[in-house]
Amino acid sequence: MFISYSWLNRHVDLAGVSPHDLARDLTLQTAEVEGVEPFAPALADVIVGHVLSREAHPDADKLGITKVNVGSGEPLQIVCGAPNVGPGQLVAVAVIGTNLPDGNGGTFKIKKSKIRGVESMGMICSERELGLGDEHDGIWVLPFAPDDNGHLIGLPVAAALGATEGHYDWVIEIDNKSLTHRPDLWGHRGIAGEVAAILGRDMRPIATELPAHGDAQSVPVHVESKGCSRYIGIAIDGLKNGKAPEWMRHMLLAAGQRPINLLVDISNFVMLDVAQPNHLFDRTELKADGILVRDAREGETMVTLDGEKRTLSTADMLITSGGEAVALAGVMGGEASKIGESTTQMLLEVATFAPAQIRRTSQRLGLRTDSSGRFEKHLDPTLPMKAAAHLVSLLAELQPGISLPSAPSEGGAWTDPACDVRVRPNRVRAVLGLDAELLSNQRMEVMLTSLGFGVSGADTESWTVRVPSARATKDVGLEEDLIEEIGRSYRYDNIPEQRVLAEIAPVPRDERRNLARRIQDRLSGSSAFDEVMTHSFLEGNLCEKLGIAMEPTIRAINPVAEGYERIRRSVVPSLLGLVPNNLQLRGEAYLYEVGKGYLPEVTQGEFQEPTEIHEVGLVLARSGSVSVSVADFANTSLFLLKGTVEDLLYSLERARPGRAGIPGLVWVKPGEGELIPPFAHRGRCMVAFASDAKGNATGPELAFVSAIEPGVGAALGLAGDSVADVAFASVSIDSLLSAPEKPVLHRPIPRFPGVKVDVAFALGEDTLASDAEAIIVQSGKGLVADVQLFDLYQGEKVAKGMKSMAWHVLLQSDTKTLGDKDLHKFLTRVEGGAKRIGGELRKD
Amino acid sequence: METTLQPELHQHLQDAKARIDAATAAEELRAVERDYIDKGGVVAGLLAAITTLPPEQRRDAGQGANILKGAVLKALGDRKAELEAMAIDAARSGHGFDPSLPGTSIRRGSLHPVTRVTRELEDIFSSMGYDILDGPEVEIDVYNFERLNIPGDHPARDMHDTFWCEVNGAERDSNMGLLLRTHTSCVQVRTMERLQPPFRVVVPGRVFRQETVDASHEHTFHQMEGLVVGEGLTVGHLIGTMKTFLREVFQKEIEVRLRPGYFPFVEPGFELDARCPFCATPGAGCRVCKQTGWVELCPCGMVHPAVLQMSGIDTEKYTGFAFGLGLSRLVMLRYEIDDIRHLMGGDTRFLSQF
Repeated sequence: MFISYSWLNRHVDLAGVSPHDLARDLTLQTAEVEGVEPFAPALADVIVGHVLSREAHPDADKLGITKVNVGSGEPLQIVCGAPNVGPGQLVAVAVIGTNLPDGNGGTFKIKKSKIRGVESMGMICSERELGLGDEHDGIWVLPFAPDDNGHLIGLPVAAALGATEGHYDWVIEIDNKSLTHRPDLWGHRGIAGEVAAILGRDMRPIATELPAHGDAQSVPVHVESKGCSRYIGIAIDGLKNGKAPEWMRHMLLAAGQRPINLLVDISNFVMLDVAQPNHLFDRTELKADGILVRDAREGETMVTLDGEKRTLSTADMLITSGGEAVALAGVMGGEASKIGESTTQMLLEVATFAPAQIRRTSQRLGLRTDSSGRFEKHLDPTLPMKAAAHLVSLLAELQPGISLPSAPSEGGAWTDPACDVRVRPNRVRAVLGLDAELLSNQRMEVMLTSLGFGVSGADTESWTVRVPSARATKDVGLEEDLIEEIGRSYRYDNIPEQRVLAEIAPVPRDERRNLARRIQDRLSGSSAFDEVMTHSFLEGNLCEKLGIAMEPTIRAINPVAEGYERIRRSVVPSLLGLVPNNLQLRGEAYLYEVGKGYLPEVTQGEFQEPTEIHEVGLVLARSGSVSVSVADFANTSLFLLKGTVEDLLYSLERARPGRAGIPGLVWVKPGEGELIPPFAHRGRCMVAFASDAKGNATGPELAFVSAIEPGVGAALGLAGDSVADVAFASVSIDSLLSAPEKPVLHRPIPRFPGVKVDVAFALGEDTLASDAEAIIVQSGKGLVADVQLFDLYQGEKVAKGMKSMAWHVLLQSDTKTLGDKDLHKFLTRVEGGAKRIGGELRKD
Repeated sequence: METTLQPELHQHLQDAKARIDAATAAEELRAVERDYIDKGGVVAGLLAAITTLPPEQRRDAGQGANILKGAVLKALGDRKAELEAMAIDAARSGHGFDPSLPGTSIRRGSLHPVTRVTRELEDIFSSMGYDILDGPEVEIDVYNFERLNIPGDHPARDMHDTFWCEVNGAERDSNMGLLLRTHTSCVQVRTMERLQPPFRVVVPGRVFRQETVDASHEHTFHQMEGLVVGEGLTVGHLIGTMKTFLREVFQKEIEVRLRPGYFPFVEPGFELDARCPFCATPGAGCRVCKQTGWVELCPCGMVHPAVLQMSGIDTEKYTGFAFGLGLSRLVMLRYEIDDIRHLMGGDTRFLSQF
């Protein structure tokens, strides 16, 4: 909201208080000021000139050649096209070198020029040229009688008009959000009230009573709608519409309101002054039955004064006359009955409407107006009559000939919201953290009364504070609300800081957060992955490519853009979406995200909340084709990622690294019927379980690792020239939490040296490495301490359908140094074992 | 001693010494040792020849051979030590060393900047005895609004630019309405329903606003909520807590100011500004603080009694304060990130810098 400094000064004397001081005080005690800017800054640059003469231009009928005294030096010759310029006027002169606004946010410089052959040494300005509205019919004749104001000639116009800090007026912008709870502050008088309290000055009074009225029949007013608690209609006669006075137009402009005509301007002025929206009807357009406030009928239409045809519902409220809508209550007036240039008789509407109803109508129609914005803040129902009195009094000042032909009519069942609140001074101090020395009872009482509250029982420990109606509609109703009033008057900023004292107790451990931290540390640390954070929204196109478009998802009704409705179920799809771009830019992507997903089909609790899952998703992608040779398995993204996940699970102590030939994790390929994500490679994916003492899978599934489904890879553009080796994994943090912990245990360092031997098998190509390793371990009869695959070969040197695998095997005993005999026995058993799995021990 | 050597032995010694002095490598010394000292060498030959000498010469000949052996061994030892010393000297040379050659690169990972700052704050609050809690990102109206004192038609809802959600094309009724949480404050309610005062908690997490994305606006960003409920807590405690926290984050004394701010779930409510830590002269104004000298850091306030009561907390006995730190903003300030879109953009060129 824009507040004019001069306008505030109408309500409270601002002598000695600069706009910036005011802004700081308001920020610290009332509401955030977002900016302080001079209004019409050009007025500080143009100077007062006295037009001495005007002669016709020899070569142009419409131009005149003026001589203007600007206080110093010879009078200036200025060529001017305005019809209204004439000798004796005091005018605003832009001399050579002055910068004026160009109307587009920039400025232009006045230069010496020749107009139709006649030299011109400056410009006599119109109001529009100075940023004072749309007036451009002629030059701006300054509101000074030249005879008495010779001393003003040559002064900057702003100074002549009574400048504050060098400018005509200042605009103080207040953050609307910080006024949400203060319907009383949506006008200058409300802000002035705060300023008066801050400065300890009195408010200047304004009219609160209507003048006497005639005896004619009042305009009938009936209120049917529950949403209208008060409706006042006041007939006013003897009007003559026209132009509002200069001061009013300028103040409206400063407050961001374009002047229209006197009557509309007064209506707006009162709204921006006392925060009460009001409406003026041309009374001759109303029907004899007067005003009926009723709810709209479903599908009923009306044309609002912006020219739009609106289709309404029963939730909307209408002001009607003769059965026809004349205004959309609280939001906008109707086209037909609006005030025109020739209006002489009008009906002034001042009313109180239900905030929720106005808000819903305005939201549904997408029609936010100054009026609806104020009504939805919950206006004071005692305000309409005061605002009407203010409006009529302003009007009478400008047009003394007006009259009220009849008594005001009123409808609606309103009650005064003013209320009493108990306030305990000790409680106030206890909440603010102040003692009686810093904040005495007496000071508190002064603070409350200067903000308009009434205090009774101030000599007791429990006061009764009367909350005026303007503050009682929504904002103030509790002791805490008054603590706020006292706190801000004291200035929160002045409250001394205190340390919180509390019992020393260990903070409960959050296992999920601990796990997440350990995951991040491992993956961003030794695993050298980049942690990424992606949006919870999944783009529709990506879902199509990944084959998950049909999965049930929670969807945003109002997405940030079309196609971004879906809320993800898991993290991996988001990461896959990042692969193409990162591959293009860097040729590789080692990414992970610890995040959440949502399953709408499983709900929980009183409010049927969707299930939230916690997981870490990983993607490992490298440009270049996937090796088709099984022997190159170790250098594929899939097995690099498998190794990363194994290391992660060990570090999280959900499995222990293999020992004595027993693997730490058991990896299983999902069966044909088992559900895997559509973007997983059915033939190249695996699931990890912790292993028990015998090497069998135990506990929940810990991780899923897969190559990307080739068709999905192609859909992502990872085929052809930009082919890439892409693998992904997901580790469910929820599963990790339910999996038994397998803490690291110290293993004694062997006392006896081991014997290293290499074992190579020729095996059928479908035989699993784990089966062969099991044979090796069994053959050791407890002596196999370690088995490491170091070679896998398929090709000319082995028979078709066969492969060669070779392991480094460490044999070691806890009780003795092993010899050739032990080794020989082992190799003999291995040889037999190899045959049992359809292979043979290679001796070459 | 040499003078006592027979001319023949003397010649041997001269020859050996010449070779030893000329030697520049251990193998050359070893060759001399082989030729003179080892089995089959000169000394062995001399000793073997003794038996052919007349008895009276044998003693001198034996002595001479041993003297030769000793002298050769000593010369070998000396030269060896000399060569070793020379080698160490040579190794000390920095000749041709180029310190500007690149260090051998290792693969490294990165922690997301939001994670880094979140952890820093978590650690600060943990050290002050705060629990760190979590809450769902897909929320329901009750927790995001109603129980935070923002009922159905409250105009404060407008400030929130809420993403409303549906399942199977069906919106849900009023208080069960699904939405993406607009603040971490929902976890205040969840906390108060679960824990008995006194308690101190912080809640980091992502929040959502239906906003057009540009360099300074994201529809998804991070906040950290704080909530402290106990007996006798005051505005002074809130100020003290925020000051302590800021001192820890910026590792220097930071001036703060508290001014009125409106949030329906606190009363009184504040905005906390900090003296811009980036201005060259404190308060002078700079690009970061838009020339105001202050940076808006977090909305905060005393927990509204209605909020406490809705969660069954006795407002005569307990008071509390709450604050909502803009984590994303702190991250941007800390790392001088000028475009918020980087945070959720997933570009490894950005991520790998952290």
